[in-house]
Amino acid sequence: MLTTVNEPIDAVVIYRRGAPHPLLHAFRWKNRRYDITATHLIHREREGEAVYLVYSVGCQQDTYILRLDIGRGRWTLDALEMGD
Amino acid sequence: MRRMIMHVDMDSYFASVEQQCHPTLRGKPIGVTGRPTERSIVVAASREAKQYSVWTGMPVWEALKACPDLVLVSGNPERYLSVTKRFIEILKAYTALLEVYSVDEVFMDVTQEAPKRGGPVRMAEEIRHRFHDELGEYITATVGIAEGKTFAKLIGARNKPDGIGRLDQEEMPELLESTRVGDVWGIGRRIEARLNRVGIRTLRELGSASEQFLKREFGVYGLHLHEIGQGRDSTPLVPYTDVPPPKSVGHSKSLPPELREFSLALIVLRDLCDKAARRMRRLGYMGRTVHCGFRVGSIGPHHGKQTTLALPADDGEMIYKACLTVLDKIPVKPEKVSNIGVSIGNLVPTEKTLCSLLETDQRRERLNAAVDRIRDRYGDRSIRLGTSLLVRPIPQHVGGFFMASDDLEVG
Repeated sequence: MLTTVNEPIDAVVIYRRGAPHPLLHAFRWKNRRYDITATHLIHREREGEAVYLVYSVGCQQDTYILRLDIGRGRWTLDALEMGD
Repeated sequence: MRRMIMHVDMDSYFASVEQQCHPTLRGKPIGVTGRPTERSIVVAASREAKQYSVWTGMPVWEALKACPDLVLVSGNPERYLSVTKRFIEILKAYTALLEVYSVDEVFMDVTQEAPKRGGPVRMAEEIRHRFHDELGEYITATVGIAEGKTFAKLIGARNKPDGIGRLDQEEMPELLESTRVGDVWGIGRRIEARLNRVGIRTLRELGSASEQFLKREFGVYGLHLHEIGQGRDSTPLVPYTDVPPPKSVGHSKSLPPELREFSLALIVLRDLCDKAARRMRRLGYMGRTVHCGFRVGSIGPHHGKQTTLALPADDGEMIYKACLTVLDKIPVKPEKVSNIGVSIGNLVPTEKTLCSLLETDQRRERLNAAVDRIRDRYGDRSIRLGTSLLVRPIPQHVGGFFMASDDLEVG
């Protein structure tokens, strides 16, 4: 089940040569570091003037939905989904 | 050199994208819907749901009856469009002769490129590997390979999901014998019924029918049918670089029960006129012929008529007024309608139309331009007609079907 979080976070990102999007390596939320173990999907969304890259990533069994505001360079943790 | 066409068809597309995005949905029967309510319809079923005979277009209540464990997921059109743009980018690396047929289907002419890449099957395998690596393991595609579009699509459908099908000309007689005419792309239920009435049930029987007979019965389309029945298909591929100008622009909406009263349907129609007008302005066209119609009941007949404007228009208000004139001409006056729509034809490029010298027209033009600029910048829903607030319950984007082909913008 998806739980909404909507909190700003710090992120460690890799800009890999030739990759269409920056790759999320890890993020920090509530003083804990989360290392990404899988990138499920990255897609683009628009809300008014803002353009976002939305990341669905896995850390162990759980899935985290994060959002990068491309124009402002800000990361937000949108939601989390605990694994079965 | 013989033509080589590849049909790339994403498997259970919207559902697969959701399963890719949300691993907890993997392996489960899921149905993507506009709104996850029993009144909605399933716009895409996962391959697990298809095993329970849950299909696209099935009402949710019926799908839940067929599969009580079905997980309903609200569609996210932006997500699907974003993935579509990415898989098209991948395919563009293989050929420029690429036709984007829909949000999840592409035709490619690989006659020149396939031999350089070890043949079409090897090329298809490479494409599927790239999809796996760059889109995700759950987003799979089936590839059909044949000499024409119709047969590529047909052989692909026989190898779904996650497969590759190649049709060699030697296998054609068997395919013609075993394929019912209704299974062929473009032959709908009505044409199938007409063919069945004259004893044509398979493609082989279609090929045996005389060309004159098919032409007499179906006009020019009869010639195409005859060609298909003979195992040939010369339907041209329309590359994304060479999309023909639109013949008409239109929108229709199936109404939820709470909006079926005619007065409320008219508010929806006003919104549809606005949407169609905006699309015309974006494409750079104005139209003269306005067709408007509605449907009474879910399987009732369509009632529609059209009118021709004195001058081409691209303004929602003018089109709506024309629709009201059209609706007046329709003898049926129902209290409730289940579907309403508008279509504008007889299109001419805006630059070839005369500028109106009337101040009122010029003001509307300036207003439309300002509204378009706001919507371009802040999204389509950033500025709307006040009346549309009265019909807020209507889903804005039903499972991705809001997308018109020009939304893909793959050029």
